[in-house]
Amino acid sequence: MRGGQLLAASLVPTPYLTRGMIMTNVDTKPSNYSTFPSWPENNHEIPTWIYSNEQLFDREMEVFFGGNTWNYVGLECEVPEPNSFKRSWIGTTQVVVTRDAGNQIHVVENRCTHRGTPVCWKQRGDASSLVCPYHQWTFGLDGKLLGLPFIRGAFGKGGMPKDFDKSSHGLRAAKVVVRGGGIWASFGESPPPLEDYFGPEILSLYDRFLNGRPLKLLGYSRQILPNNWKLYHENLRDLYHAAILHTFLVTYGLYRADVEHLNDTPENGRHEYGKSIFSKKTRDQVNEAVHEMTLRREGQILNEMSMVEPEIEFDDGLTSNFNVFPSVHIQQHGNIFSMRHIIPKDVRSMELAWTQFGYADDSSELEMARLKQANLVGPAGYISAEDGEVLALIQTNVERHPDVLQPLEMGGRDINLPSDNMLNEDLLRSFYRFYRREMGL
Amino acid sequence: MAWRKVASKDDLKSDEGFPVQIDGCRIGLYLVDGEVFAIGDNCPHQAGVLLSEGWFEEGVIECPMHQSRFDVRTGNCLNPPALEDVPRFEIRVEGGDIFVDEPAG
Repeated sequence: MRGGQLLAASLVPTPYLTRGMIMTNVDTKPSNYSTFPSWPENNHEIPTWIYSNEQLFDREMEVFFGGNTWNYVGLECEVPEPNSFKRSWIGTTQVVVTRDAGNQIHVVENRCTHRGTPVCWKQRGDASSLVCPYHQWTFGLDGKLLGLPFIRGAFGKGGMPKDFDKSSHGLRAAKVVVRGGGIWASFGESPPPLEDYFGPEILSLYDRFLNGRPLKLLGYSRQILPNNWKLYHENLRDLYHAAILHTFLVTYGLYRADVEHLNDTPENGRHEYGKSIFSKKTRDQVNEAVHEMTLRREGQILNEMSMVEPEIEFDDGLTSNFNVFPSVHIQQHGNIFSMRHIIPKDVRSMELAWTQFGYADDSSELEMARLKQANLVGPAGYISAEDGEVLALIQTNVERHPDVLQPLEMGGRDINLPSDNMLNEDLLRSFYRFYRREMGL
Repeated sequence: MAWRKVASKDDLKSDEGFPVQIDGCRIGLYLVDGEVFAIGDNCPHQAGVLLSEGWFEEGVIECPMHQSRFDVRTGNCLNPPALEDVPRFEIRVEGGDIFVDEPAG
């Protein structure tokens, strides 16, 4: 008989303790928590050390991305065919999103269980299996280890021990839920049902436009933001800045203080949403208050005004922007549909990966409108470029001065939500109350 | 039918495949309960890998590279990563010599 079973048991190294699994216990506070700098017991003072403390960052990754949360990893239309894949991230962990031959979606960690090599080196593509380039360990699209070269040795020599168990060396697989064309994954031991994680308010905003109508990928843009990832989550919840920093929005009537707004942080501060009614009537209405407040200038015309004159495509006229913490900000603004995937890199940098999409059955005019308006957002967008600029410069300062308490007192010192105006920081206070509770800080 | 002698039955062992070639076409011979079978020897999953160099047991050959298994009596692929079957060839044994029907084309 050929084979590798001649290896004596005593020569076989002790099996890896972790068997390819990273164990996280989000219920146990590390004993070194007391070593974190202080944070006053109130809602309105935010210490600057939280933007550069590496130990805190590690804990955030464990609690929020390794814990019982649901993370956006991509759209079904990005893995459109059986045997297609795309790479994505759950926090700092790279994953591969696959659609197997039976149309099942899987999310597996991009880390060979043998030597830690990424098994997938392409951003998107087609494959019936994932083959590690280092030793050609070959995994199914569900992460199962299918085979490895010379498991039985060759010519009677070498090979794996006879009791080597392929079934315990699969790629680490996340739990997966597909809803309305979005793919959600969790590395947690026992995440709640996705619906419960979203909660009723986020769920209704999500289902409202991601309702199973097939989606079409329109494109990507990606940017590295040299700032702590929490600064971006803050920015999304910072109503105060919107009309002040983003003058483009105001100038062209895309953001209006005179329309009905509602903002809240549902699920005890975990998520966030903002919605407003945007109708043709609103768009065209001339309002003195707005005129003064926004310094809107007569005659400020774009060559391509369709950029800022969206087609009204929903009967309810609703514009909705919502954050499903910790991984994504979902935007339905004008005719823009976008997923802003928030991908922390380290304590002082993150990636923001934008996916622009529409419906598969959009008219060509509507698709063109979505594509044009996509220029408003993203790294070179007319609007959101400023956020990245500001946050990068904040990072430099808060790192240099980690012992400062910054005031979030706009709108008061407690938390009054939902909010119907933009001149408050209740969403931020609510976020940090949630954050401290989850982090045990 | 054009029968070509490719081996003697004595060449075959019950626990090993036996690789042969006809005009560059690679074929693996196998002995199952005294009966000879011949199937295509190239793994459909990875070019250049010969199945007959793999582990042979109970009528099943296992690819040495990624352990896809094939039924040597039919050529049927039994598990991934290979997804396709390999061809089966007709066999004739006469006086201890093994003849394989020359592959078409």
